[in-house]
Amino acid sequence: MQMNVGTADGSGKMQALIIVGHGSHLSATSSAPVYRHADSVRALGAFAEVRECFWKEEPSLRVVLDLVEADEVFVVPLFMSEGYFTEEVIPRELGLDGPAPSITRIGPRTIHYCAPVGTHPGMSRLILRRAEETAGLSDEEAGSTGLLVIGHGTERNPRSSEVVYEVAAGAREENLFASVRVGFLDQAPEVDDVLEAMNEERIVLVPFFVAEGWHTQETIPDDLGIRRPDAGRVSELAGRTIYYTPPVGTFPEVADIVVQRAREAGAEIRSGRSGEMAHV
Amino acid sequence: MSDVAAARDALVRWIDEAGEEGRTFLQLRLDRTADGYRIRHEEDAGVGESDLSMAADPLAARDIALTTAEGEHRPLKTAPNLRRGWLLRGLSERELWTALDYLYPAAALHRYREMEGTLEITPWREVADRQSGIYSAVGLLEEEAVERAVEACCEDAVCLRKVRWGISGARNGSAAAPESVPCPEACSIFVSFARSVLVQERRPRAAAGPLGTLSEAEAEQIRAAVEAAGAGTAVTVREGEFSNPLNQRRLRYLSARLADPEMGSPVPRPEGLREPCDGCPRPEPCEGCPLVADV
Repeated sequence: MQMNVGTADGSGKMQALIIVGHGSHLSATSSAPVYRHADSVRALGAFAEVRECFWKEEPSLRVVLDLVEADEVFVVPLFMSEGYFTEEVIPRELGLDGPAPSITRIGPRTIHYCAPVGTHPGMSRLILRRAEETAGLSDEEAGSTGLLVIGHGTERNPRSSEVVYEVAAGAREENLFASVRVGFLDQAPEVDDVLEAMNEERIVLVPFFVAEGWHTQETIPDDLGIRRPDAGRVSELAGRTIYYTPPVGTFPEVADIVVQRAREAGAEIRSGRSGEMAHV
Repeated sequence: MSDVAAARDALVRWIDEAGEEGRTFLQLRLDRTADGYRIRHEEDAGVGESDLSMAADPLAARDIALTTAEGEHRPLKTAPNLRRGWLLRGLSERELWTALDYLYPAAALHRYREMEGTLEITPWREVADRQSGIYSAVGLLEEEAVERAVEACCEDAVCLRKVRWGISGARNGSAAAPESVPCPEACSIFVSFARSVLVQERRPRAAAGPLGTLSEAEAEQIRAAVEAAGAGTAVTVREGEFSNPLNQRRLRYLSARLADPEMGSPVPRPEGLREPCDGCPRPEPCEGCPLVADV
């Protein structure tokens, strides 16, 4: 039994999974979801080795390939969009041939660089499920509730907002919430304007961020006039009830998206070993 | 046999040969008992097992390495602030290796490669050249300032690895002791610190009598440090918080400058950069300023 764990079925090649996070010099909240998802993937037993690595923390991107021994290595960035980090920093620091999807051969080893979790099509349904759960809504209640997906956005990289629009469009298609809107911190439409213009009496806010941090814990709640998450996730605001979920990257089901990304890149995962956590 | 497997075997042999005493590895004590390998904090070597929090899972090492005894985040695992009070026991050879890689990522491998003569050293110039975004300017730091930054950022008081990289090649130095761990290339903390040093070095300095030359910001840093010391208040500044004048590495850098008042002419201003650079990074980038980039 032990021999089969983490090998590509049939080939006998060992598979390793590396989850890449941004990390932080200042706060442990940035790396926390990377560690948590790594634990979940480890528990699946689909990879002989699962390692975490970071741009700003140890283990660094520069050494992580020395921390795994498998010949088939799958690298999944825990980032919410394609951009500077996924396309430039991560491939450069790992010594890869190019941005995702790419395959790099170094000696006996093959490194499969996967697309980030944020752009995975399963994200929309995952967000809906979590939004419902966090707010404790039945499907019927959700039908009269508004959903507001909050992105960081930046005028410098259109893809940062595109992914948020795509996720919202996917969520809209499911017809679960009365409306699905998008608001940003650093570009129009700004989140406070969008929230104000929404008609529903019950609104769920979902930050499309990878981890808890300054924005999710302080700037967003403070700007909107709702409670900070450490004080509670439900607020009354101008006669409306506002639910504020944890950032998307911390949702437990994201571990399954990580596995899906590796599978798309060729990781062999026996059926039943993925999809069972989130049904995405 | 891969390099990693050979390194693991060498480590295991090194511990086995030490007998009951075990080996000191950075802040750890490693030894072997009847039921497998053990890892503890070096300062806990004399503490009874029952007084330590015990685990047999190598992944427990990951959580131990995450925060200091005071609960501070530890982005740099070789900072000399590993917490005490725990014991990993009953580890197999592989589990020992995994636990070590969480406590000190790649440290045992780098140590092995150095002894084998296969450790690849990346000089500062190469690390600086590959930076982009807000770090693309670190290559502008002049050599003297890089060396002072190494003194401030990398010595035993702040990091237990031994710097082996130099400005454009390997650093000359004495042969490695078997328990020492080499640093083959500047880490993310160093690159970030170098950027903060560059901002400091860009500031205009004026003669300050016996102290040599000081910028306004450096004078303010001295005032803040003296005031904090005088007040006797415990100032805890995070190790990567280089925006804070009381950050340990920033104080060490200033201290190195003060120790040699002759040293430290400002970095020549790159062409196209407009004055003043005081207060960089700006919210709005000056045209052509590499200190403020698009990240």
